[in-house]
Amino acid sequence: MRIAAFTLVLLVVTACASAPIPARNPYANRPEAVQAGAKLFLQHCAACHGADASGHAAPSLRRAAVQSLPDPALFSFITNGALRRGMPSWAQLPDERRWQLIAYLRSLHDD
Amino acid sequence: MGLLLALLLCATARPARAQESPYFVLYDHHMEEPGNLEISLSPVLASPRNGPRSLATSLELEYGTTAWWTSSLYLDGASATAGPSAFTGFRLENRFRLLMHEHPVNPVFYVELADTNGADRVAKEIVGFDSWRDFAEPIREARTETEREVETKLILSGNRRGWNVAANAIAEKNLAGAPWELGYAVGTSRPLALAAQPFECHLCRENFTLGLEMYGGLGEAGNLTLSQTSHYLAASVAWSLPNGITLRLSPARGLTQTSNRSFVRFGISYEGHIR
Ligand code: HEC
Repeated sequence: MRIAAFTLVLLVVTACASAPIPARNPYANRPEAVQAGAKLFLQHCAACHGADASGHAAPSLRRAAVQSLPDPALFSFITNGALRRGMPSWAQLPDERRWQLIAYLRSLHDD
Repeated sequence: MGLLLALLLCATARPARAQESPYFVLYDHHMEEPGNLEISLSPVLASPRNGPRSLATSLELEYGTTAWWTSSLYLDGASATAGPSAFTGFRLENRFRLLMHEHPVNPVFYVELADTNGADRVAKEIVGFDSWRDFAEPIREARTETEREVETKLILSGNRRGWNVAANAIAEKNLAGAPWELGYAVGTSRPLALAAQPFECHLCRENFTLGLEMYGGLGEAGNLTLSQTSHYLAASVAWSLPNGITLRLSPARGLTQTSNRSFVRFGISYEGHIR
């Protein structure tokens, strides 16, 4: 029972401390992060957005409308998803992996 | 039949991968991605304080109906070290995410209809005055009791710095008229590594998630109590492979005299995108 109470306290503490989103991708311009992001993209995103992110059941992520979003806005969109419109929330992926995904998405801009 | 379905899924679906939570009893707020089907086989070995051990297995089909609604069908079976094996029933579960944005604590409403018999030993939740004696009863006799139940859960869960912390409040009612039986599950989990490696890998730390769960019964509506209830502490690990397969293991120890001595839960699942 003590562990149950401890977990509840932890849940409340987690709830009270909300983390600010960094203004810039901490993994920006790191080639190994782009590679890691490409791997994560194939695992989690390609089924809907296409293997090269150029769109499939869901829109292309190479479009200027996506590429022009600032880092924190893109991070927040991927974290929350758009549940009513079919884009899942990816909050269960650690922050580090969501930033790696963004490093990969940015690399598509320069193709 | 499970094997057949798994083969069919492998042949028709593209593998998809989530960061699989290692929990067996506890639920977090992560929903199945829309259009994804996950098929899992989860055997659980129960050792009662007295009497033969029993092995129960459930086959689960979980589908992401929408990004905020996940549906599952379970088919359960059981066997004991002595006596026959039996099909022990089915359960139909739906989970609805209540808030459309990610918050520090995210509520999910869970409702399940179960048509099982008294030999169902999957122990997906512990409620009321559940006891090791339920597991020691011979399957031949237990399976003649029918149990039509509705079960509801309020799932609260949040993620921060790679940690998940979750708590579930459980209320289950036998439709034949018994009072609501109450229970809980709480726990936490974290992947061994937060960032991903730049290459495909099987044994790297990012593929392993460790968890700690505690679950148990809380008596009945009108008689909320800890006495004569069972409680378990479980460690769990999930290993997600790049091909969409996840393996999970969770040994649990009974903490009270009413509890089973132990459970050992296993899980193998495959997830694919079918829509
Ligand atoms: C189940 C299908 C599905 C999966 C899987 C998926 N998405 Fe999406 N995504 C969508 C849909 C549908 C939209 C359009 C939502 C809308 O209309 O606002 C979308 C939109 C987006 C947008 C905004 C596009 C725009 O036009 O503004 C981004 C960025 C995005 N997704 C990133 C990702 C990333 C990164 C992943 C993998 C971690 C991913 N998505 C996985 C379905 C999916």
